[in-house]
Amino acid sequence: MRVEQNHRGQMAAMSMPALVFTVGMIAFPFLYTIWMSFQTYSSTGQVTGWGGDNYLRMAVDGQFWNGIWITLYLYVLSLVMQLVLGTGLALLLFRAKRLPGIVRSLFISPFMMPPVVAGMMWLVILDPSLGAANWILTSLGLPPSAWLASPVLVVPTLAMIDTWQWTPYVALIVLGGLQSLPPSVYEAAEIDGASRRAVFFRITLPLLLPTLVTAMILRSVDLLRFFDLIYITTQGGPSNHSMTLNIYGFRVGFEFFQLGYAGALMVTLSVLVLGAVMAFNRLRAAVEW
Amino acid sequence: MAMKPSDSRWLDWINVVLLVLAGMIVMTPTAWMILSSFKPSYEVIAFPPKLVFTPVIENYVTLSKQTPFLSYGINSLIVTFGSTVFGLLLGAPAAFVASWTRITWPAVVALMARMAPGTLFLLPWYVMFRQVDMIGSYWALILTHAVITLPIVIWVLLPYFDNIPRSIFEAAQVDGCSPFRIFRRIALPLVSSGLAVSAILAFVFSWNFFLFSLVLSNSQTKTLIAASFNFIGEGSTNWGGLMAAATIIALPPLILAAIVQRWLISGLTLGAVKG
Repeated sequence: MRVEQNHRGQMAAMSMPALVFTVGMIAFPFLYTIWMSFQTYSSTGQVTGWGGDNYLRMAVDGQFWNGIWITLYLYVLSLVMQLVLGTGLALLLFRAKRLPGIVRSLFISPFMMPPVVAGMMWLVILDPSLGAANWILTSLGLPPSAWLASPVLVVPTLAMIDTWQWTPYVALIVLGGLQSLPPSVYEAAEIDGASRRAVFFRITLPLLLPTLVTAMILRSVDLLRFFDLIYITTQGGPSNHSMTLNIYGFRVGFEFFQLGYAGALMVTLSVLVLGAVMAFNRLRAAVEW
Repeated sequence: MAMKPSDSRWLDWINVVLLVLAGMIVMTPTAWMILSSFKPSYEVIAFPPKLVFTPVIENYVTLSKQTPFLSYGINSLIVTFGSTVFGLLLGAPAAFVASWTRITWPAVVALMARMAPGTLFLLPWYVMFRQVDMIGSYWALILTHAVITLPIVIWVLLPYFDNIPRSIFEAAQVDGCSPFRIFRRIALPLVSSGLAVSAILAFVFSWNFFLFSLVLSNSQTKTLIAASFNFIGEGSTNWGGLMAAATIIALPPLILAAIVQRWLISGLTLGAVKG
């Protein structure tokens, strides 16, 4: 039928611009990076052929393993804090029942502001000599801290800033999950005289698991690629103590212009992200009800 | 839940107190930033910090005089606006087709773009744009930022199109309406609120995005976000100016986010959560 064909043609025409853009700007560059990561180079940087040189180099590069460690350390620390505090905040918001727009806007503000701005703001607050954070510490009789300038504290400090930014986001996701729980289960629990603690651990938490896993997936994707805040505040320092894989890959690529090696690092990071997402997807399937 | 009413009263109070506390923790750093931006330059680095001071707009004035702040702002607007429009023009019809024909590639690709680290794309883009001598151009920034906006538009709009009863489309088809017309005359008006939400979210995320303009802009096309890196270098001596810059940069996304706050969470979680 001509009309039918015409319809198909129009549908194709409507999706064509997006398809062309996607192939040109996303799919092709993606493959190009993989291709670059398998190129081999001479000592002067000329492309000499094919092979796994970049990946072999990675395996013996202490900075790469440091990057993996920092990435995972920052990831686990931030994720745990955000999930625990986010769930707590969600329970508070849920009990409050009504959430006026102004309050919601307040809780949205940290994660909708540019991470770069959050970085600028916290740099000033956490300044080791003149910052407000150390003023609070010293007036409480505690010793001042170097925060982002401390090799030991830099990752926990970055995790704290990210937790400040994203806990409300996790909370609003979990709140959505709480609001969708069936009230009938709670009525049944009440009739059975279940204790508050039992209701939380035996009913709320298990029913909430799929939502929590969703929040974990969404946060994992961002946390494993943690970039803006670090680049603005420490650029990986002090002495590489906050050099995540993403920051390292960026610096290898755009400060040393070793595109092939940077490509190998980014492909590895992508595999890490994809692996985490797939693992959590399995977990979600297991806790679905 | 089984408990005495008085017991529940107490818990309600504790709940409110804890919520106020959480709100203060969330609000204080931002309030501090805004406060510092209105402090006179000699007071902003006072230690211990002063809580009471006479607010001045000196920092904002110096910022506009000593840095090309306005032209950075215009660059940001061009790139953000351009990439949002680009994302909508490409994403809205694609989302419509994806919803109607149940093809999945737009959603899958959008997800891929969301998951891969930005540097992964930036490496080949850098090579590509250098080949055609486009590094530093507005188009390079608009196209790369469209990689942020397009997935947002597709993901936000898909459920809106899915919610339109298919019988409406089928009836229109029987009446001889072409897919083009159905899209323009029927589907688009029905998802107008979705268009607004996706446009605002795309705008916010394009505005906030740092990495691409960090590498692909030059001194003429530098966006506010990329320029903030310079402000920090200078900010070691001028906190007031730094905080003034931060406040202005944060303002557009915060205002826009407040407008769409009700639809924000379902938009940000790719529809995984109904907020």
